[in-house]
Amino acid sequence: MRLVIDERRCKGCNLCTIVCPYKIFRQGAKPNARGIVVPELDRPERCANCRLQALYGRTLCGMCQMICPDQAISWKDEEIGEPTKVAIEF
Amino acid sequence: MTYTDWLREDRLPHIYCAGCGNGTIINCTLNAVDHMGWKKEDTVFVSGIGCSSRAPGYISTDSLHTTHGRALAFATGIKMANPGLHVVIFTGDGDLAAIGGNHFIHACRRNIDLTVICMNNQIYGMTGGQGSPTTPVGALSTTTPYGSREPTFDLCQLASAAGANFVSRWTSYHVKELTRAIHTGLQIPGFSFIEAAVQCPTNYGRRNKFRQVMDQVEYFKTHAILQQKAERLKAEGKSVPENSIVIGDFIRRDRPAMGVKR
Amino acid sequence: MTKIDFMQGNTACAEGALAAGCRFFGGYPITPSTEVAEHMAAKLPKLGGVFIQMEDEIAGIAAVIGASWTGVRAMTATSGPGFSLMMENLGFAVMTETPCVVVNIQRGGPSTGQPTMSAQGDMLQCRFGSHGDYSIIALSPASVQEMYELTVKAFNLADRFRIPVFLMADEIIGHMRERIEIPDTIPAGERKLLEKDTLPYHAGKDLVPGFPQFGKGYGVHVTGLTHDERGYPCTTSPSVHEELVKRLVAKVESARHEIADFRVTNPGAEIIFITYGSPARTVEQLIHDHPDANIGHLRLRMVWPFCENALGEFPDARVFLVPEQNLGQIAREIERHTSVPVVPLPKLGGALHTPAELKAAMEAWR
Ligand SMILES: Cc1ncc(C[n+]2csc(CCOP(=O)(O)OP(=O)(O)O)c2C)c(N)n1
Ligand code: SF4
Ligand code: SF4
Ligand code: SF4
Ligand SMILES: [Mg+2]
Repeated sequence: MRLVIDERRCKGCNLCTIVCPYKIFRQGAKPNARGIVVPELDRPERCANCRLQALYGRTLCGMCQMICPDQAISWKDEEIGEPTKVAIEF
Repeated sequence: MTYTDWLREDRLPHIYCAGCGNGTIINCTLNAVDHMGWKKEDTVFVSGIGCSSRAPGYISTDSLHTTHGRALAFATGIKMANPGLHVVIFTGDGDLAAIGGNHFIHACRRNIDLTVICMNNQIYGMTGGQGSPTTPVGALSTTTPYGSREPTFDLCQLASAAGANFVSRWTSYHVKELTRAIHTGLQIPGFSFIEAAVQCPTNYGRRNKFRQVMDQVEYFKTHAILQQKAERLKAEGKSVPENSIVIGDFIRRDRPAMGVKR
Repeated sequence: MTKIDFMQGNTACAEGALAAGCRFFGGYPITPSTEVAEHMAAKLPKLGGVFIQMEDEIAGIAAVIGASWTGVRAMTATSGPGFSLMMENLGFAVMTETPCVVVNIQRGGPSTGQPTMSAQGDMLQCRFGSHGDYSIIALSPASVQEMYELTVKAFNLADRFRIPVFLMADEIIGHMRERIEIPDTIPAGERKLLEKDTLPYHAGKDLVPGFPQFGKGYGVHVTGLTHDERGYPCTTSPSVHEELVKRLVAKVESARHEIADFRVTNPGAEIIFITYGSPARTVEQLIHDHPDANIGHLRLRMVWPFCENALGEFPDARVFLVPEQNLGQIAREIERHTSVPVVPLPKLGGALHTPAELKAAMEAWR
């Protein structure tokens, strides 16, 4: 699964940056076309949900999605043929 | 189904300001509702007037966005007329405790089978930041420009004293716990009251030393104290630190209730 | 078989409501309307309905509106002070197009006024009392029989037009006891449900959208904010607001001749009394006492929307005399629609006009 921020919905509040145990969300640097500074993702493949959702058949962790007041965070299935990065940190 | 399936996608993004806590509470509520396995057609959201009360408009079930303060009275009519419907109410601190205070205590007294989620931002958000019955003493608002001097309501104590079957308080930082509390409230027959402390960066935070959205949410994180811990401190003769937000489930009981489907 | 009975006006109102299928009552006690609530409290539970005494009248009408959205016929009953409290939520019912019936057994105002005395002082309030432009229907019974009949009618009209319908009675009619014939069938009416795949606030030719009852899977958002045909808030578009408000008014006003309900006595007369509610009884007495005096009488059973064509039933009219238990509220409306002199005959304090008073008023125009 791939972690995505819907740029049409994100309002740049950065609340996602304070909840992720992996610190995947980082405050963004430059405004997008709507003038919103959307957070940047730092190696999102580390996200527990990206790795394990398919295996467990339910949302794991999900803290960022829950706190995001603008319903901007979701996980998408990889496209067919898209390489899946597997990141396991020890 | 997941909770995002309950959203009225064609109305998103919503009108809330960047970082407004209300959106988080919608997520938690829909998550809890989704876990109940309820059907959409059996579920109704009701609200009064205020930013918080706009929430039902973003949910794809039947919903009634009523008049300021009166959501519980409308909801009482719905639930009594058709106990088969699951009725969930969104309200704000002003909507619930100021103009709607009387309906609040009477809905608790009747212990009618409703679940109420109050997004308490300690301010009148929608009208531009006037003081509310929960604005802390000393806090600045457009109608308390020298700091509020009025004592405040503790909404959970009010609900407990008035007879609600389930009373709980969390914050927009405690998303998991809040979701669990709402889920409990949805399951318990009778009146369930869940207070969610939320940030209103635009009309409360900005005037009260929370420069960034994150600052107030960090404040919730650092100043929240579990009810059990607060009790323990008191038992040990120690004082609960000032400005603490006591969180937890305060009441869970089985008073006779109205409007419960038989 | 028609059943003959003898009962109080307020009881007849409650019986009419039950016969019409009303299964929800939410309200708050107030003289002189309380018997309606008491009768509903006794009867509704036995019929599988719900009676709930709310914490105030604001909550009473709110609960009624909430109940109505579940598809049930719902009503409340009150008098002046409670009626005033209901105004904001009545506007909500208008804006959201919620069928409901509100009974007002009028007493003397302003304020707490004369709790046990009759009045008709809320006739303009029921029409204009909430903020903004809108239109409603108000019926006015002049007998115990009509307390029953017009209550039934109020429910049918509320469902047809999706509006609050007011039964504007007065203390005299509410507390009077007289003979009543209870019919075994009543005129049927039903709430037209929204057709699937239609926008919830899209209205057809009759200007009344189908009703998207809660619990049926419509997923409708109902708001008192100005809304578009989807029911979504749309508060800054001048055209959306204008179209909505004009439709809310037009759906009632454009039907006013079709739904008009009045009684004409002596259409050839030159001196005409126009009444609604209890003053009609004095005029009837006067006509009875002076059968040869050719006294005209236009008795309005429906006061709002005002049907100006009714005035044309009296082509030879030289004067319209309007006895009311207020300072001339409906006389003012009549005046707008005719060049014939309109003479208000106000009476305050609670007593009915006497035949002698009306006779004197009439003689002045001989
Ligand atoms: C009868 C009435 N009085 C006043 C208002 C104006 N008004 C709208 S929202 C609001 C306050 C809302 O505060 P709260 O319930 O705390 O909601 P928030 O916006 O903070 O979420 C007020 C006073 C109104 N709409 N209706
Ligand atoms: S689901 Fe958890 S681990 Fe994954 S990005 Fe969100 S907060 Fe981080
Ligand atoms: S929490 Fe949501 S809206 Fe806020 S910055 Fe993160 S993705 Fe954007
Ligand atoms: S004013 Fe406050 S409560 Fe209203 S949307 Fe903005 S942040 Fe939220
Ligand atoms: Mg508030």
